[in-house]
Amino acid sequence: MLDLRDVSYSYAGTRAVNAVNLAIGERQLVALAGPNGSGKSTLLKLIARVLAPQHGDITFEQKSLAGWHAKEYARRVGYLPQDPDPAFPMRAIEVVVSGRAPYLGRFAWESDRDWEEASRALAMCDATHLADRYLDEMSGGERKRVFLARVLAGTPRLILLDEPFTALDISHIQQFSALLRDVVDRTGCTVLFAAHDLNWAAAHSDRMLVMRNGALALDAPPHQVLQADVMKTMFGFDAETVAIGGKTWVVPRV
Amino acid sequence: MSRAVLILVVLLAISIALAVTFGSVSLDWNDETARMILLRLRLPRVLLAAAIGATLAVAGVTFQTLLRNPLADPFILGVSGGAACGAAVATALRLGRIPGLVPIVAFAGALLATAAVFLLARRRDHTDPVRLLISGLVLNAFFSAVILISFALSPQSDLTAALKWMMGTLFGATWTSVILVSSLLAVAMIVLAFVANDLRLLVFGEEDAKARGVDVERVKLIGFGAASIITGAAVAVSGIIGFVGLLVPHLIRLIWRRDFRLLLPLCALGGATLVVAADLVSRIVIRSTELPIGAFTAILGVPFFLSLLRRS
Repeated sequence: MLDLRDVSYSYAGTRAVNAVNLAIGERQLVALAGPNGSGKSTLLKLIARVLAPQHGDITFEQKSLAGWHAKEYARRVGYLPQDPDPAFPMRAIEVVVSGRAPYLGRFAWESDRDWEEASRALAMCDATHLADRYLDEMSGGERKRVFLARVLAGTPRLILLDEPFTALDISHIQQFSALLRDVVDRTGCTVLFAAHDLNWAAAHSDRMLVMRNGALALDAPPHQVLQADVMKTMFGFDAETVAIGGKTWVVPRV
Repeated sequence: MSRAVLILVVLLAISIALAVTFGSVSLDWNDETARMILLRLRLPRVLLAAAIGATLAVAGVTFQTLLRNPLADPFILGVSGGAACGAAVATALRLGRIPGLVPIVAFAGALLATAAVFLLARRRDHTDPVRLLISGLVLNAFFSAVILISFALSPQSDLTAALKWMMGTLFGATWTSVILVSSLLAVAMIVLAFVANDLRLLVFGEEDAKARGVDVERVKLIGFGAASIITGAAVAVSGIIGFVGLLVPHLIRLIWRRDFRLLLPLCALGGATLVVAADLVSRIVIRSTELPIGAFTAILGVPFFLSLLRRS
Protein backbone atom coordinates (compact mmCIF):
# COMPACT_ATOMS: atom_id res chain seq x y z
CA MET A 1 0.00 0.00 0.00
CA LEU A 2 2.85 2.39 0.85
CA ASP A 3 6.24 2.50 -0.87
CA LEU A 4 9.17 4.79 -0.12
CA ARG A 5 12.06 4.80 -2.58
CA ASP A 6 15.28 6.54 -1.65
CA VAL A 7 13.44 9.30 0.24
CA SER A 8 15.47 12.17 1.71
CA TYR A 9 14.61 15.45 3.40
CA SER A 10 16.79 18.22 4.89
CA TYR A 11 15.95 21.22 7.04
CA ALA A 12 18.26 24.10 6.06
CA GLY A 13 21.26 21.88 5.47
CA THR A 14 20.76 19.25 8.19
CA ARG A 15 19.59 15.99 6.77
CA ALA A 16 16.62 14.69 8.78
CA VAL A 17 15.66 11.74 6.60
CA ASN A 18 18.34 10.05 4.57
CA ALA A 19 17.69 7.69 1.63
CA VAL A 20 14.90 5.68 3.24
CA ASN A 21 13.52 2.66 1.39
CA LEU A 22 10.42 1.10 2.88
CA ALA A 23 7.35 -0.89 1.88
CA ILE A 24 4.33 -1.29 4.16
CA GLY A 25 1.34 -3.50 3.40
CA GLU A 26 -2.27 -3.71 4.57
CA ARG A 27 -3.51 -4.66 8.03
CA GLN A 28 -0.26 -4.09 9.91
CA LEU A 29 0.63 -2.45 13.18
CA VAL A 30 4.07 -0.96 12.63
CA ALA A 31 6.12 0.77 15.35
CA LEU A 32 8.67 3.42 14.48
CA ALA A 33 11.46 3.76 17.05
CA GLY A 34 14.74 5.63 17.25
CA PRO A 35 16.58 8.12 19.47
CA ASN A 36 15.61 11.80 19.64
CA GLY A 37 16.27 13.57 16.36
CA SER A 38 16.61 10.37 14.38
CA GLY A 39 14.01 11.50 11.82
CA LYS A 40 10.84 9.73 12.98
CA SER A 41 8.59 12.79 12.94
CA THR A 42 9.97 14.00 9.63
CA LEU A 43 9.36 10.59 8.07
CA LEU A 44 5.74 10.63 9.26
CA LYS A 45 5.26 14.18 7.94
CA LEU A 46 6.62 13.12 4.56
CA ILE A 47 4.14 10.24 4.39
CA ALA A 48 1.32 12.52 5.63
CA ARG A 49 2.10 14.93 2.77
CA VAL A 50 2.83 17.72 5.24
CA LEU A 51 6.35 17.88 3.78
CA ALA A 52 7.36 16.94 0.24
CA PRO A 53 10.47 14.75 -0.24
CA GLN A 54 13.44 16.59 -1.73
CA HIS A 55 14.81 13.35 -3.16
CA GLY A 56 13.20 10.05 -3.97
CA ASP A 57 9.55 9.20 -4.29
CA ILE A 58 6.69 8.06 -2.07
CA THR A 59 3.82 6.11 -3.61
CA PHE A 60 0.53 5.24 -1.94
CA GLU A 61 -1.68 2.68 -3.66
CA GLN A 62 0.63 2.71 -6.69
CA LYS A 63 0.31 6.47 -7.16
CA SER A 64 3.01 9.04 -6.35
CA LEU A 65 2.05 11.40 -3.49
CA ALA A 66 2.48 14.46 -5.71
CA GLY A 67 -0.13 12.98 -8.06
CA TRP A 68 -2.77 12.55 -5.34
CA HIS A 69 -5.48 15.17 -4.95
CA ALA A 70 -4.97 16.63 -1.45
CA LYS A 71 -8.49 15.85 -0.16
CA GLU A 72 -8.58 12.40 -1.75
CA TYR A 73 -5.31 11.58 -0.03
CA ALA A 74 -6.53 12.99 3.29
CA ARG A 75 -9.53 10.61 3.16
CA ARG A 76 -7.19 7.63 2.95
CA VAL A 77 -4.34 8.70 5.19
CA GLY A 78 -4.96 10.07 8.70
CA TYR A 79 -2.19 11.85 10.60
CA LEU A 80 -1.98 12.75 14.27
CA PRO A 81 0.79 15.29 15.03
CA GLN A 82 2.76 15.10 18.26
CA ASP A 83 0.80 17.66 20.23
CA PRO A 84 -2.26 18.99 18.44
CA ASP A 85 -3.74 21.95 20.26
CA PRO A 86 -6.70 23.96 18.97
CA ALA A 87 -6.17 27.68 19.59
CA PHE A 88 -9.74 28.16 20.84
CA PRO A 89 -11.92 26.06 23.18
CA MET A 90 -13.72 23.16 21.47
CA ARG A 91 -15.91 20.26 22.53
CA ALA A 92 -14.62 16.75 21.95
CA ILE A 93 -17.35 15.84 19.48
CA GLU A 94 -16.56 18.96 17.41
CA VAL A 95 -12.90 18.00 17.35
CA VAL A 96 -13.77 14.48 16.24
CA VAL A 97 -16.22 15.53 13.52
CA SER A 98 -13.58 17.86 12.07
CA GLY A 99 -11.82 14.62 11.08
CA ARG A 100 -14.56 14.32 8.43
CA ALA A 101 -13.37 17.54 6.76
CA PRO A 102 -11.81 15.81 3.70
CA TYR A 103 -15.30 14.51 2.83
CA LEU A 104 -17.02 17.91 2.99
CA GLY A 105 -17.76 20.05 -0.03
CA ARG A 106 -16.65 23.67 -0.05
CA PHE A 107 -19.82 25.12 1.47
CA ALA A 108 -21.15 21.94 3.07
CA TRP A 109 -21.90 21.31 6.72
CA GLU A 110 -21.42 17.94 8.36
CA SER A 111 -24.20 15.52 7.45
CA ASP A 112 -25.90 13.02 9.79
CA ARG A 113 -23.51 10.42 8.42
CA ASP A 114 -20.53 12.54 9.49
CA TRP A 115 -21.87 12.90 13.03
CA GLU A 116 -22.54 9.15 13.15
CA GLU A 117 -18.97 8.40 12.08
CA ALA A 118 -17.73 10.78 14.76
CA SER A 119 -19.79 9.09 17.49
CA ARG A 120 -18.70 5.67 16.28
CA ALA A 121 -15.04 6.73 16.39
CA LEU A 122 -15.46 8.12 19.90
CA ALA A 123 -17.08 4.84 21.02
CA MET A 124 -14.21 2.87 19.50
CA CYS A 125 -11.75 4.88 21.57
CA ASP A 126 -13.88 4.33 24.68
CA ALA A 127 -14.54 8.06 24.88
CA THR A 128 -18.28 8.43 24.30
CA HIS A 129 -18.68 9.98 27.74
CA LEU A 130 -16.28 12.77 26.74
CA ALA A 131 -18.33 13.93 23.72
CA ASP A 132 -19.66 17.16 25.21
CA ARG A 133 -16.67 17.99 27.39
CA TYR A 134 -14.28 20.77 26.45
CA LEU A 135 -10.81 19.77 25.40
CA ASP A 136 -9.09 22.14 27.82
CA GLU A 137 -10.89 20.46 30.74
CA MET A 138 -9.51 17.01 29.94
CA SER A 139 -6.49 15.04 31.08
CA GLY A 140 -3.68 14.24 28.66
CA GLY A 141 -4.93 10.69 28.22
CA GLU A 142 -8.50 11.77 27.45
CA ARG A 143 -7.25 14.27 24.88
CA LYS A 144 -5.17 11.58 23.17
CA ARG A 145 -8.23 9.37 22.86
CA VAL A 146 -10.28 12.23 21.41
CA PHE A 147 -7.60 12.98 18.83
CA LEU A 148 -7.26 9.32 17.89
CA ALA A 149 -11.04 9.28 17.42
CA ARG A 150 -10.67 12.33 15.18
CA VAL A 151 -8.28 10.40 12.95
CA LEU A 152 -10.53 7.32 12.97
CA ALA A 153 -13.61 9.39 12.06
CA GLY A 154 -12.05 9.96 8.65
CA THR A 155 -12.02 6.13 8.13
CA PRO A 156 -8.46 6.18 6.72
CA ARG A 157 -6.69 3.14 5.27
CA LEU A 158 -3.38 4.28 6.73
CA ILE A 159 -3.01 5.94 10.13
CA LEU A 160 0.13 7.85 11.12
CA LEU A 161 0.58 8.65 14.80
CA ASP A 162 3.46 10.74 16.11
CA GLU A 163 4.26 9.62 19.66
CA PRO A 164 0.72 8.79 20.78
CA PHE A 165 1.98 7.49 24.15
CA THR A 166 3.59 10.67 25.46
CA ALA A 167 1.70 12.29 28.37
CA LEU A 168 -0.01 8.99 29.13
CA ASP A 169 0.39 7.09 32.39
CA ILE A 170 1.16 3.39 32.25
CA SER A 171 -2.44 2.19 32.52
CA HIS A 172 -3.43 4.47 29.63
CA ILE A 173 -0.45 3.34 27.55
CA GLN A 174 -1.58 -0.20 28.20
CA GLN A 175 -5.10 0.62 27.02
CA PHE A 176 -3.96 2.74 24.13
CA SER A 177 -1.55 0.23 22.65
CA ALA A 178 -4.18 -2.52 22.87
CA LEU A 179 -6.59 -0.10 21.21
CA LEU A 180 -4.21 0.36 18.26
CA ARG A 181 -4.05 -3.42 17.80
CA ASP A 182 -7.82 -3.54 17.99
CA VAL A 183 -8.20 -0.79 15.36
CA VAL A 184 -5.95 -2.68 12.95
CA ASP A 185 -7.75 -5.98 13.50
CA ARG A 186 -11.26 -4.53 13.31
CA THR A 187 -10.92 -2.05 10.45
CA GLY A 188 -8.18 -3.74 8.44
CA CYS A 189 -6.24 -0.49 8.17
CA THR A 190 -2.51 -0.08 8.75
CA VAL A 191 -1.16 1.93 11.67
CA LEU A 192 2.34 3.38 11.69
CA PHE A 193 3.20 4.99 15.04
CA ALA A 194 6.33 6.56 16.49
CA ALA A 195 7.16 5.71 20.11
CA HIS A 196 10.02 6.07 22.54
CA ASP A 197 9.08 3.34 24.98
CA LEU A 198 10.47 0.29 23.19
CA ASN A 199 8.60 -2.31 25.22
CA TRP A 200 5.28 -0.67 24.46
CA ALA A 201 6.27 -0.03 20.85
CA ALA A 202 6.88 -3.73 20.51
CA ALA A 203 4.02 -5.02 22.66
CA HIS A 204 1.32 -5.53 20.02
CA SER A 205 3.20 -4.64 16.84
CA ASP A 206 3.74 -6.84 13.80
CA ARG A 207 6.87 -5.04 12.83
CA MET A 208 9.38 -2.52 14.14
CA LEU A 209 11.35 0.10 12.27
CA VAL A 210 14.37 1.68 13.91
CA MET A 211 15.73 4.97 12.64
CA ARG A 212 19.17 6.33 13.33
CA ASN A 213 20.62 9.63 11.99
CA GLY A 214 17.82 9.88 9.44
CA ALA A 215 18.40 6.43 7.98
CA LEU A 216 16.27 3.34 8.41
CA ALA A 217 18.74 1.27 10.41
CA LEU A 218 16.63 -1.79 11.18
CA ASP A 219 13.37 -3.29 9.96
CA ALA A 220 12.46 -6.47 11.80
CA PRO A 221 9.86 -8.29 13.93
CA PRO A 222 9.74 -6.89 17.51
CA HIS A 223 11.49 -9.83 19.16
CA GLN A 224 14.52 -9.31 16.96
CA VAL A 225 14.71 -5.64 17.91
CA LEU A 226 14.37 -6.16 21.66
CA GLN A 227 17.90 -7.50 22.04
CA ALA A 228 20.70 -6.27 24.27
CA ASP A 229 23.15 -5.77 21.37
CA VAL A 230 20.57 -3.83 19.32
CA MET A 231 19.91 -1.52 22.29
CA LYS A 232 23.63 -0.86 22.60
CA THR A 233 24.32 -0.18 18.90
CA MET A 234 21.07 1.55 17.94
CA PHE A 235 20.03 3.38 21.10
CA GLY A 236 23.32 3.60 22.97
CA PHE A 237 22.37 2.09 26.32
CA ASP A 238 23.28 -1.09 28.16
CA ALA A 239 20.30 -3.40 28.54
CA GLU A 240 19.27 -6.83 29.65
CA THR A 241 16.40 -8.82 28.24
CA VAL A 242 13.77 -10.65 30.23
CA ALA A 243 11.40 -13.23 28.81
CA ILE A 244 7.94 -13.32 30.37
CA GLY A 245 5.04 -15.33 28.97
CA GLY A 246 6.59 -15.78 25.56
CA LYS A 247 7.37 -12.05 25.18
CA THR A 248 10.74 -10.39 25.42
CA TRP A 249 11.22 -7.19 27.39
CA VAL A 250 14.25 -4.96 27.55
CA VAL A 251 15.29 -3.46 30.85
CA PRO A 252 17.97 -0.78 31.02
CA ARG A 253 20.87 -1.73 33.25
CA VAL A 254 21.03 0.55 36.26
CA MET B 1 -27.41 28.25 15.65
CA SER B 2 -30.19 29.83 13.61
CA ARG B 3 -31.40 31.16 16.95
CA ALA B 4 -28.06 32.95 17.42
CA VAL B 5 -28.45 34.62 14.02
CA LEU B 6 -32.03 35.60 14.84
CA ILE B 7 -31.11 37.13 18.21
CA LEU B 8 -28.33 39.18 16.67
CA VAL B 9 -30.49 40.34 13.74
CA VAL B 10 -33.15 41.55 16.20
CA LEU B 11 -30.52 43.32 18.34
CA LEU B 12 -29.05 44.99 15.27
CA ALA B 13 -32.50 46.10 14.07
CA ILE B 14 -33.29 47.58 17.49
CA SER B 15 -29.99 49.46 17.70
CA ILE B 16 -30.40 50.80 14.15
CA ALA B 17 -33.95 51.96 14.93
CA LEU B 18 -32.79 53.71 18.11
CA ALA B 19 -29.78 55.26 16.39
CA VAL B 20 -31.94 56.67 13.61
CA THR B 21 -34.53 58.00 16.04
CA PHE B 22 -32.27 59.72 18.54
CA GLY B 23 -29.82 62.53 17.90
CA SER B 24 -29.15 66.20 18.49
CA VAL B 25 -32.17 67.05 16.32
CA SER B 26 -35.40 65.26 17.12
CA LEU B 27 -37.28 63.92 14.16
CA ASP B 28 -40.43 65.21 12.66
CA TRP B 29 -41.31 63.65 9.32
CA ASN B 30 -43.37 66.68 8.29
CA ASP B 31 -40.45 69.01 8.73
CA GLU B 32 -38.36 69.45 5.59
CA THR B 33 -35.09 70.09 7.46
CA ALA B 34 -35.57 67.12 9.75
CA ARG B 35 -36.22 64.89 6.74
CA MET B 36 -33.00 66.14 5.12
CA ILE B 37 -31.05 65.44 8.29
CA LEU B 38 -32.46 61.96 8.44
CA LEU B 39 -31.79 61.00 4.82
CA ARG B 40 -28.56 62.86 4.16
CA LEU B 41 -26.85 62.66 7.55
CA ARG B 42 -28.24 60.30 10.11
CA LEU B 43 -29.24 57.31 8.01
CA PRO B 44 -25.93 57.06 6.10
CA ARG B 45 -24.09 57.53 9.38
CA VAL B 46 -25.96 54.71 11.12
CA LEU B 47 -25.56 52.38 8.15
CA LEU B 48 -21.87 53.24 7.89
CA ALA B 49 -21.52 52.43 11.59
CA ALA B 50 -23.08 49.02 10.93
CA ALA B 51 -20.83 48.36 7.92
CA ILE B 52 -17.67 49.46 9.76
CA GLY B 53 -18.55 47.40 12.83
CA ALA B 54 -19.24 44.31 10.74
CA THR B 55 -16.02 44.83 8.79
CA LEU B 56 -13.82 45.18 11.86
CA ALA B 57 -15.35 42.16 13.59
CA VAL B 58 -15.05 39.98 10.48
CA ALA B 59 -11.44 41.08 10.00
CA GLY B 60 -10.77 40.44 13.69
CA VAL B 61 -12.10 36.90 13.74
CA THR B 62 -10.22 36.14 10.51
CA PHE B 63 -6.91 37.43 11.93
CA GLN B 64 -7.42 35.52 15.18
CA THR B 65 -8.10 32.30 13.30
CA LEU B 66 -5.25 32.69 10.82
CA LEU B 67 -2.71 33.68 13.46
CA ARG B 68 -4.13 31.16 15.96
CA ASN B 69 -3.88 33.99 18.44
CA PRO B 70 -6.74 35.21 20.63
CA LEU B 71 -5.00 38.57 21.09
CA ALA B 72 -4.97 39.39 17.38
CA ASP B 73 -7.09 42.29 16.13
CA PRO B 74 -7.52 43.82 12.65
CA PHE B 75 -4.78 46.36 13.34
CA ILE B 76 -2.15 43.92 14.54
CA LEU B 77 -0.37 43.58 11.19
CA GLY B 78 0.18 47.31 10.72
CA VAL B 79 -2.96 48.11 8.72
CA SER B 80 -4.02 50.92 11.05
CA GLY B 81 -0.47 52.20 11.45
CA GLY B 82 -0.02 52.32 7.68
CA ALA B 83 -3.33 54.09 7.17
CA ALA B 84 -2.71 56.60 9.97
CA CYS B 85 0.78 57.20 8.63
CA GLY B 86 -0.59 57.94 5.16
CA ALA B 87 -3.21 60.31 6.58
CA ALA B 88 -0.71 62.08 8.85
CA VAL B 89 1.85 62.58 6.09
CA ALA B 90 -0.87 63.93 3.78
CA THR B 91 -1.90 66.38 6.52
CA ALA B 92 1.70 67.48 7.08
CA LEU B 93 2.08 68.13 3.35
CA ARG B 94 -0.96 70.47 3.53
CA LEU B 95 -3.02 68.07 1.45
CA GLY B 96 -5.63 67.55 4.19
CA ARG B 97 -8.03 70.09 2.76
CA ILE B 98 -8.39 68.46 -0.63
CA PRO B 99 -11.68 66.57 -0.29
CA GLY B 100 -11.46 62.79 -0.50
CA LEU B 101 -7.68 62.72 -0.67
CA VAL B 102 -6.92 61.72 2.92
CA PRO B 103 -9.01 58.50 2.78
CA ILE B 104 -7.35 57.48 -0.48
CA VAL B 105 -3.85 58.07 0.89
CA ALA B 106 -4.83 56.25 4.09
CA PHE B 107 -6.11 53.26 2.13
CA ALA B 108 -2.90 53.17 0.08
CA GLY B 109 -0.89 53.33 3.34
CA ALA B 110 -2.86 50.42 4.78
CA LEU B 111 -2.27 48.23 1.74
CA LEU B 112 1.42 49.14 1.53
CA ALA B 113 1.88 48.34 5.22
CA THR B 114 0.20 44.93 4.84
CA ALA B 115 2.31 44.10 1.80
CA ALA B 116 5.47 45.14 3.67
CA VAL B 117 4.59 42.99 6.70
CA PHE B 118 4.00 40.02 4.43
CA LEU B 119 7.24 40.41 2.52
CA LEU B 120 9.14 40.69 5.81
CA ALA B 121 7.52 37.55 7.24
CA ARG B 122 7.84 35.36 4.17
CA ARG B 123 10.60 32.78 4.11
CA ARG B 124 10.97 30.07 1.47
CA ASP B 125 7.29 29.95 0.38
CA HIS B 126 6.13 29.92 3.98
CA THR B 127 4.55 32.76 5.98
CA ASP B 128 5.25 32.16 9.63
CA PRO B 129 2.55 33.56 11.99
CA VAL B 130 5.09 34.58 14.65
CA ARG B 131 7.22 36.44 12.12
CA LEU B 132 4.05 38.14 10.87
CA LEU B 133 3.18 39.33 14.37
CA ILE B 134 6.69 40.63 15.04
CA SER B 135 6.90 42.37 11.65
CA GLY B 136 3.52 44.03 12.30
CA LEU B 137 4.62 45.15 15.76
CA VAL B 138 7.89 46.64 14.55
CA LEU B 139 6.29 48.37 11.57
CA ASN B 140 3.58 49.85 13.80
CA ALA B 141 6.30 51.32 16.03
CA PHE B 142 7.97 52.84 12.98
CA PHE B 143 4.66 54.31 11.81
CA SER B 144 4.07 55.88 15.22
CA ALA B 145 7.38 57.71 14.85
CA VAL B 146 6.45 59.01 11.39
CA ILE B 147 3.01 60.07 12.65
CA LEU B 148 4.52 62.05 15.56
CA ILE B 149 6.94 63.86 13.25
CA SER B 150 4.15 64.58 10.75
CA PHE B 151 1.98 66.05 13.47
CA ALA B 152 4.81 68.27 14.66
CA LEU B 153 5.16 69.63 11.11
CA SER B 154 1.41 69.97 10.42
CA PRO B 155 -0.41 73.33 10.47
CA GLN B 156 -2.20 73.82 13.79
CA SER B 157 -5.55 74.27 12.07
CA ASP B 158 -5.42 70.82 10.44
CA LEU B 159 -4.45 68.96 13.59
CA THR B 160 -7.94 68.73 15.09
CA ALA B 161 -9.30 66.90 12.07
CA ALA B 162 -6.29 64.58 11.98
CA LEU B 163 -6.62 63.80 15.70
CA LYS B 164 -10.36 63.12 15.35
CA TRP B 165 -9.57 60.68 12.59
CA MET B 166 -6.95 58.93 14.74
CA MET B 167 -9.55 58.47 17.46
CA GLY B 168 -12.08 57.16 14.98
CA THR B 169 -15.13 59.08 13.83
CA LEU B 170 -18.21 58.50 11.74
CA PHE B 171 -18.76 62.23 11.31
CA GLY B 172 -19.24 63.18 7.67
CA ALA B 173 -20.57 59.77 6.58
CA THR B 174 -21.93 59.80 3.03
CA TRP B 175 -23.94 57.34 0.98
CA THR B 176 -20.83 56.86 -1.17
CA SER B 177 -18.80 55.65 1.81
CA VAL B 178 -21.68 53.39 2.95
CA ILE B 179 -21.88 51.73 -0.47
CA LEU B 180 -18.09 51.49 -0.75
CA VAL B 181 -17.50 49.85 2.63
CA SER B 182 -20.51 47.52 2.53
CA SER B 183 -19.87 46.26 -1.00
CA LEU B 184 -16.22 45.54 -0.15
CA LEU B 185 -17.42 43.74 2.98
CA ALA B 186 -19.90 41.68 0.95
CA VAL B 187 -17.21 40.59 -1.50
CA ALA B 188 -14.81 39.77 1.34
CA MET B 189 -17.42 37.69 3.16
CA ILE B 190 -18.16 35.68 0.02
CA VAL B 191 -14.43 35.11 -0.49
CA LEU B 192 -14.01 34.09 3.17
CA ALA B 193 -17.01 31.76 2.92
CA PHE B 194 -15.12 29.97 0.12
CA VAL B 195 -12.27 29.13 2.49
CA ALA B 196 -14.29 28.92 5.73
CA ASN B 197 -14.11 25.13 5.86
CA ASP B 198 -10.34 25.33 5.50
CA LEU B 199 -9.94 28.21 7.93
CA ARG B 200 -11.60 26.38 10.78
CA LEU B 201 -9.14 23.50 10.34
CA LEU B 202 -6.25 25.95 10.72
CA VAL B 203 -7.26 26.28 14.38
CA PHE B 204 -5.50 22.93 14.94
CA GLY B 205 -2.25 24.18 13.45
CA GLU B 206 -0.81 24.41 9.97
CA GLU B 207 0.68 20.93 9.75
CA ASP B 208 -2.52 19.35 10.94
CA ALA B 209 -4.55 21.31 8.38
CA LYS B 210 -2.10 20.34 5.63
CA ALA B 211 -2.53 16.68 6.47
CA ARG B 212 -6.32 17.16 6.09
CA GLY B 213 -5.87 18.33 2.51
CA VAL B 214 -5.86 22.10 3.09
CA ASP B 215 -3.68 24.25 0.82
CA VAL B 216 -2.47 26.26 3.82
CA GLU B 217 -0.41 28.94 2.06
CA ARG B 218 -3.23 29.71 -0.37
CA VAL B 219 -5.81 29.94 2.42
CA LYS B 220 -3.54 32.29 4.38
CA LEU B 221 -3.04 34.52 1.35
CA ILE B 222 -6.78 34.71 0.67
CA GLY B 223 -7.72 35.21 4.32
CA PHE B 224 -5.09 37.83 5.17
CA GLY B 225 -5.66 39.57 1.83
CA ALA B 226 -9.44 39.85 2.25
CA ALA B 227 -9.24 40.88 5.92
CA SER B 228 -6.51 43.47 5.29
CA ILE B 229 -8.29 45.11 2.34
CA ILE B 230 -11.58 45.56 4.21
CA THR B 231 -9.76 46.79 7.32
CA GLY B 232 -7.86 49.29 5.17
CA ALA B 233 -11.10 50.57 3.67
CA ALA B 234 -12.80 50.82 7.08
CA VAL B 235 -9.85 52.71 8.59
CA ALA B 236 -9.60 55.04 5.59
CA VAL B 237 -13.27 55.99 5.91
CA SER B 238 -13.72 56.24 9.67
CA GLY B 239 -10.31 56.26 11.29
CA ILE B 240 -9.14 53.87 13.97
CA ILE B 241 -12.08 52.47 15.94
CA GLY B 242 -10.54 50.16 18.50
CA PHE B 243 -11.77 47.14 20.48
CA VAL B 244 -14.47 46.01 18.01
CA GLY B 245 -12.21 43.65 16.11
CA LEU B 246 -10.72 42.19 19.27
CA LEU B 247 -13.79 42.15 21.49
CA VAL B 248 -16.65 41.00 19.26
CA PRO B 249 -15.14 37.66 18.17
CA HIS B 250 -14.46 36.85 21.84
CA LEU B 251 -17.96 37.87 22.90
CA ILE B 252 -19.49 35.65 20.21
CA ARG B 253 -17.17 32.78 21.10
CA LEU B 254 -18.00 33.07 24.79
CA ILE B 255 -21.73 32.96 24.11
CA TRP B 256 -21.96 30.44 21.28
CA ARG B 257 -18.54 28.74 21.03
CA ARG B 258 -18.78 27.85 17.37
CA ASP B 259 -16.29 27.20 14.61
CA PHE B 260 -15.24 29.71 12.00
CA ARG B 261 -18.04 29.00 9.54
CA LEU B 262 -20.66 30.32 11.97
CA LEU B 263 -18.43 32.86 13.68
CA LEU B 264 -18.12 34.76 10.41
CA PRO B 265 -21.80 35.85 10.05
CA LEU B 266 -22.29 36.10 13.83
CA CYS B 267 -19.31 38.42 14.20
CA ALA B 268 -20.54 40.58 11.32
CA LEU B 269 -23.91 41.04 13.06
CA GLY B 270 -22.38 41.52 16.52
CA GLY B 271 -19.80 44.04 15.29
CA ALA B 272 -22.47 46.03 13.45
CA THR B 273 -24.67 46.14 16.55
CA LEU B 274 -21.86 47.25 18.86
CA VAL B 275 -20.64 50.10 16.64
CA VAL B 276 -24.17 51.38 15.90
CA ALA B 277 -24.88 51.44 19.64
CA ALA B 278 -21.51 53.01 20.49
CA ASP B 279 -22.01 55.70 17.85
CA LEU B 280 -25.47 56.51 19.20
CA VAL B 281 -24.13 56.91 22.73
CA SER B 282 -21.14 58.99 21.58
CA ARG B 283 -23.54 61.37 19.80
CA ILE B 284 -26.11 61.87 22.53
CA VAL B 285 -24.25 61.57 25.83
CA ILE B 286 -23.19 65.21 25.70
CA ARG B 287 -25.32 67.60 23.70
CA SER B 288 -23.60 69.67 21.02
CA THR B 289 -20.40 67.64 20.97
CA GLU B 290 -19.33 64.20 19.83
CA LEU B 291 -17.13 62.01 21.97
CA PRO B 292 -14.71 59.53 20.35
CA ILE B 293 -16.63 56.44 19.24
CA GLY B 294 -13.62 54.17 19.88
CA ALA B 295 -13.99 54.98 23.57
CA PHE B 296 -17.63 53.88 23.59
CA THR B 297 -17.05 50.59 21.78
CA ALA B 298 -14.81 49.80 24.76
CA ILE B 299 -17.09 51.32 27.40
CA LEU B 300 -20.08 49.32 26.13
CA GLY B 301 -18.18 46.17 25.24
CA VAL B 302 -15.75 45.68 28.12
CA PRO B 303 -18.23 45.28 31.04
CA PHE B 304 -20.31 42.85 28.99
CA PHE B 305 -17.18 40.93 28.07
CA LEU B 306 -15.90 40.80 31.67
CA SER B 307 -19.21 39.54 33.03
CA LEU B 308 -19.23 36.76 30.41
CA LEU B 309 -15.64 35.90 31.20
CA ARG B 310 -16.41 35.59 34.90
CA ARG B 311 -19.36 33.32 34.24
CA SER B 312 -17.62 30.95 31.79
